[in-house]
Amino acid sequence: MIKKIKASISEKVILIFLILLGISTFGTYFLIKNKCIFVKNYNPKNIDFKNPNNIVVLNAPCGNVIIELYPNISPNGVKRFKTLIESNAYDNVAFHRVIKNKLVQAGDLEFGKKGSLDYEKIGTGKSGLGSIKSEIDNKFNYDKGSVGLARTFKSDTEDSQFFIILQDEPLFEGEYTPVGKVLYGLEVLEKIKHQRHSEYILRPDFINSFKMFN
Amino acid sequence: MNLIRAILLLITLITPLKANTIYNLIKIPNLEIYDINTKNKLKYFYAVSSFRLGVQKNIVCLNPNRNDLEIKYKTIYKNLSRYSYDYLKKINLKYIVLCENLSISGINTAGIPDNIMKTLILDIKFNEKYFERVIHHEVFHIINAQHKKLFNENEWIKFNNPQFKYAKCSTCTKKIGLDTYKKTKGFFTEYSKSTASEDMAEVYSHIISLNKKKIDQIRKLDPILNNKISYIRNKIKQIDNSFKF
Repeated sequence: MIKKIKASISEKVILIFLILLGISTFGTYFLIKNKCIFVKNYNPKNIDFKNPNNIVVLNAPCGNVIIELYPNISPNGVKRFKTLIESNAYDNVAFHRVIKNKLVQAGDLEFGKKGSLDYEKIGTGKSGLGSIKSEIDNKFNYDKGSVGLARTFKSDTEDSQFFIILQDEPLFEGEYTPVGKVLYGLEVLEKIKHQRHSEYILRPDFINSFKMFN
Repeated sequence: MNLIRAILLLITLITPLKANTIYNLIKIPNLEIYDINTKNKLKYFYAVSSFRLGVQKNIVCLNPNRNDLEIKYKTIYKNLSRYSYDYLKKINLKYIVLCENLSISGINTAGIPDNIMKTLILDIKFNEKYFERVIHHEVFHIINAQHKKLFNENEWIKFNNPQFKYAKCSTCTKKIGLDTYKKTKGFFTEYSKSTASEDMAEVYSHIISLNKKKIDQIRKLDPILNNKISYIRNKIKQIDNSFKF
């Protein structure tokens, strides 16, 4: 007959401590590794949109970013943006320029594609469709979540690259062609990989897919 | 070759992050917004500390005294408000940088135009007496830089007496007086005689600053200036037909 030995109080305390330590270690490891854990992933199908034809969905590592496009403000810019989205041109393209809490930039179709990234030239690539004219005359408030077309120092050089701002930027009005605004999922963009000392990112995050809602 | 590429990449990646929007837009450091809600959409910045520009860092300007800035801003704003948004767009001017004691290679200057960056740097303390006129003089340099082909110096030189010759550059002459001549004789000021482009800028700034009656009077008395005034007016009309002097 096996005699049962009761655990002493100190043994019980140590056991509970070890269990808690295990849980916290595992939990911390899980939380640190998964940067997306507290990011809400919006499903566009569960949302009613006023203008569903102007809704586009960008899927990034932490979930969906739902953007409304404004063809009334920048008809040519939005037309170019839609053309590229409909041809899946932005899929697997890097967020090559990221400034924490300020902006994310992507859309280099020439040097920013997953598998053929060119770190020397990234940010200078084109779409092959040619440049379009800047559309900067209509009033547009560049507040947090605004989406604009990137360009070189010269006007009328917009092509495929775009940026989304993570803070209000009143000076961007009249400077960059606006194409839309983020309706849902801005926090997804705040989790895009950035670097402390550089706007340009080594081993960047990529756009998984970028599609029209309808 | 690969090593060089790796080094270049490393340099790019460790470059300090300058997340300043104004710097990103016009590549001038140490600026802050003074006023951006203007009717003609001009954006005014001021230097919060001194800055140096250029490849050789030979352009220097200091931060202005706050009281001086407040006083001078009213004058600058009033004068630049004469230009409409459309006009400013056509001449490619959008940003005004206000600072003090502006100099290039140690030589003081009223303003530095940069039409590529759509920027005009203005020294708020330069020549108190003719400050308002000097603002328009500097605006002309932006116009001239943006529409170089329009303002032909060879055509302009023909307006002067054949014996007259401009200096090789505006800083290699002692002709820097800005007082308007009582007897003009083809030139509004002594500084007009420095170079053709400075002469054009002086004509432009006088057309803007003087009243119509005075300009008409000068045109009647001075055939050379009459031609120069017509030339500048015609060229400006080619840029923006709706502009009114």
